[in-house]
Amino acid sequence: MAEVRRKSGKPLQVNPHKLSQPMGATLAFLGVDRCMPLMHGAQGCASFTKVMFTRHFCEPIALQTTAVNDVIAVLDGGDYSIVESIKNIRDKLIPELIGLYTTGLTETKGDDIRGVASKIDVPLVYVNTPDFKGGLESGWTLTTQALIDQLTAPGDRIDAQKLVLVPHVSMQPIEVEKLRELIEAFGFKVVAVPDLSSSLDNHLGEKQASLSSGGVTVAELEQLADAAFVITVGASVKPVGATLQAKNPAIQHRHFNHVSGLVGTDELVAWLLEVSGRDTLPAVVERWRKRLQDAMLDSHFSIGQTRFLLVAEPDHLAAMAASLREVGGKVTLAIATVDSPILTDIEADQVIVGDLEDAENMRDAYDMIIGNFHTEALAHRLEKKAVMRGFPNYEEIGGALKHDVLYEGGAYFLFEIANAAERMREAQVHREREQIKRQRIA
Amino acid sequence: MDFDQCLSDSVPTLYEGNLSLVSSKPNIKELLVESACEHNKDKKGSCNAPKPGATTGGCALDGAQIALFPFADAAHLVHGPMSCVGGAWETRLTPTSWSGRDLTQTGFATDINNNDVVFGGEKKLAAAINHIVANYAPEAVFVYSTCVPAMTGDDIDAVCKQMSEKHGTPCVPVHAPGFVGAKNLGSRIAGEAVLRHLIGTKEPEYTTPFDINLIGEHNNTGELWRYRHLLEELGIRVLSTFSGDGRISEIRTAHRAKLNVIVCAKSLVSMTRKMQEQYGIPWISCSFYGKTDTSASILAIAEALGDADLIERTRALIAREEARLEEQLMPYRAIFAGKKAVLNTGGNKAWSIASALQDLGIEVVATSVRKSTEADKAKAREYLGENAILMTEPASQQAKVIDDTGAHLLLAGGRSLYTAIKKRIAFTDVNQEKKKSYGGYDGLLVLAEDLKNSLQNPVFELVERKAPWQK
Repeated sequence: MAEVRRKSGKPLQVNPHKLSQPMGATLAFLGVDRCMPLMHGAQGCASFTKVMFTRHFCEPIALQTTAVNDVIAVLDGGDYSIVESIKNIRDKLIPELIGLYTTGLTETKGDDIRGVASKIDVPLVYVNTPDFKGGLESGWTLTTQALIDQLTAPGDRIDAQKLVLVPHVSMQPIEVEKLRELIEAFGFKVVAVPDLSSSLDNHLGEKQASLSSGGVTVAELEQLADAAFVITVGASVKPVGATLQAKNPAIQHRHFNHVSGLVGTDELVAWLLEVSGRDTLPAVVERWRKRLQDAMLDSHFSIGQTRFLLVAEPDHLAAMAASLREVGGKVTLAIATVDSPILTDIEADQVIVGDLEDAENMRDAYDMIIGNFHTEALAHRLEKKAVMRGFPNYEEIGGALKHDVLYEGGAYFLFEIANAAERMREAQVHREREQIKRQRIA
Repeated sequence: MDFDQCLSDSVPTLYEGNLSLVSSKPNIKELLVESACEHNKDKKGSCNAPKPGATTGGCALDGAQIALFPFADAAHLVHGPMSCVGGAWETRLTPTSWSGRDLTQTGFATDINNNDVVFGGEKKLAAAINHIVANYAPEAVFVYSTCVPAMTGDDIDAVCKQMSEKHGTPCVPVHAPGFVGAKNLGSRIAGEAVLRHLIGTKEPEYTTPFDINLIGEHNNTGELWRYRHLLEELGIRVLSTFSGDGRISEIRTAHRAKLNVIVCAKSLVSMTRKMQEQYGIPWISCSFYGKTDTSASILAIAEALGDADLIERTRALIAREEARLEEQLMPYRAIFAGKKAVLNTGGNKAWSIASALQDLGIEVVATSVRKSTEADKAKAREYLGENAILMTEPASQQAKVIDDTGAHLLLAGGRSLYTAIKKRIAFTDVNQEKKKSYGGYDGLLVLAEDLKNSLQNPVFELVERKAPWQK
């Protein structure tokens, strides 16, 4: 559909929005209750990540590092630093799970974390996430797969009411919760893997910094194999379906590229009707569908005359573009962090893997920007308007409770974008008026 | 001022032995046993290696970025994967008056991939520098090494040398891969790089008897601008800064200054000691936090420059500024009268913020000395008096200390918020100073306003209230 450029052709990233694999792994482990993510790298790898998520979520973030230094980098194969880390963590805390994952440094030196993990007798899941490969999405997916692969007990029995939900990394905590509630309204018991909706949802809790508080429990992870269904949302997590099916081939896998907008949500709801055996929608779902229909009509005029630049992770691009496109929004340019099979399906004129320098060079292609907080400065330089979405957002608070998906969130999303587009045009008119005034005085 | 930089920490020393064969790489061991540092006289090296699984704080690369990123006219190219800069660019609140594009807020990364790990990243690095010079015309390019290219052995020195010659723009290698140590060491490495590659490479257009360098002043949240005008009013010229609102063309002339002023950054003592040895520039250490310290520092600069007339004029300026401040603080006096504060923060903030609070008439009944040096502890005792509590385990102690002292206000990092809410007392995040400047005379007014807002905010009483249906 879209014209896709998968390689930047530049020797560097200028004003990058790409994030690393270990960062995605961190987030996935934070969606497991009472987990201690343990990043195997230099102390800075964990520190940069911790600072980023602390600022993004405005919440304390549980994260430890194996603190590889020059001596360890040369002499140790990971045995010492990992074992020592776990000992030191458990001196103070007893996590339900330790999430061990690598970085560019420890992959370059070639540590065998699988071998080390096999000698450790505390609950631990390991995953290889060098930061010179992949990005945020792949780190999240690899970790989710590792959680299931290493913790879930195989089985052959099925609980017809049980459903496993695997969201992509860019789904905000509240979106996971709303999606779970929708599925539950059809009579299912839902386990989200990973589940940020109860860990990083901006709730007030005590001692949040020490371990992740909230998320899917280890016991739940161990017992996933009796689910009747696994739903994956986002192309990046599609492979997780097969990972779970490997534990029990009787599990049915249903994949959605996104659950945004009228058509996207309809597709999900139609499937839920079918598999739940019901013939009517829950009243509240029906009501929200009508509100979204109204929101589409109310917002189409503003959004329909606006050309958008979207800057995000690939799955997030697909979701936002679908919502905007339904009301005539022209997504003239979408810039992805990394390559993904979904890029060709994004409803945009042009899709590139690139950075914000590319965005700046292609400034004539769009009027309004939706992207992470870095696009605020970009919009300022270009006298355009930016709406903040995606990682990281240091400009605004409350991001974890931003709801853009399903019928309900779709309506909020369209309102916010339409209002922002109107304000942008008003500011433009104002600027032109001021200019005319100044010219007259001169 | 970057207070985190002031924390003293240490790292192992093998890096220098194994990898530092190329001349431009800093001698890590030498940096760690800095002779001008008090604490090195009775400390053995390499005992403070980061503890696996129990370490917080940034790495050497982070420290080097903090030290150098404020140069807004230089490009900052991180030769590494996205963990090293992905979430960290455009996060430095160090404003600049540079009229060109603010390169402090521009992220450059080689985004090392699998191929670069296998085949080496030198060609990519050179091409990246070409791209930057062609498109952004920086005054210099700082090239930061990271763990991965340090392991694979990219010759960053050679690339920088070649590119400097090709473009006529200094390309400065900064050898601060994260695994060599903590932020503090990175800051020292950054100082070494500037000393080796930039300072002394250009002559100033003119000199004055009162030329100074401000070392370690990063102009965080505009702190430099709170007092720079006062120095200028006295005829003291800031010849260069390392690195707040800094210019590459100025730091290159820094060797002609008459005095180096270290602003709250012990990590840069090596740099000033070497400048004393190489260029005969004496140095003093200053803090511009609160009224007392600001006055003392301005006077110390005048005295170090040694001109009787200047000292006289400085005393007059201080008297004028203090009187003005006192008048502006009057409305706050009544609000703060009888108020007690508990302070839980690290390093020299233990006494520098305490001093500022005392300037406002707030009694500081306890402070944390968990991460402070012996000198900082002594100073905290001196500032707070013998009855104050010096907390060594603030996380577990502070709740009881609040009860025992009847404190009204807790100043701490965000993690302690819950303690304040439990105790239903006002809370101020000391890291606010990362967003707003509390430095200089006028910064005290900002601090006063923030503390007033905290003390008068009902949220701390309300948020933990029991719901009507709870027993």
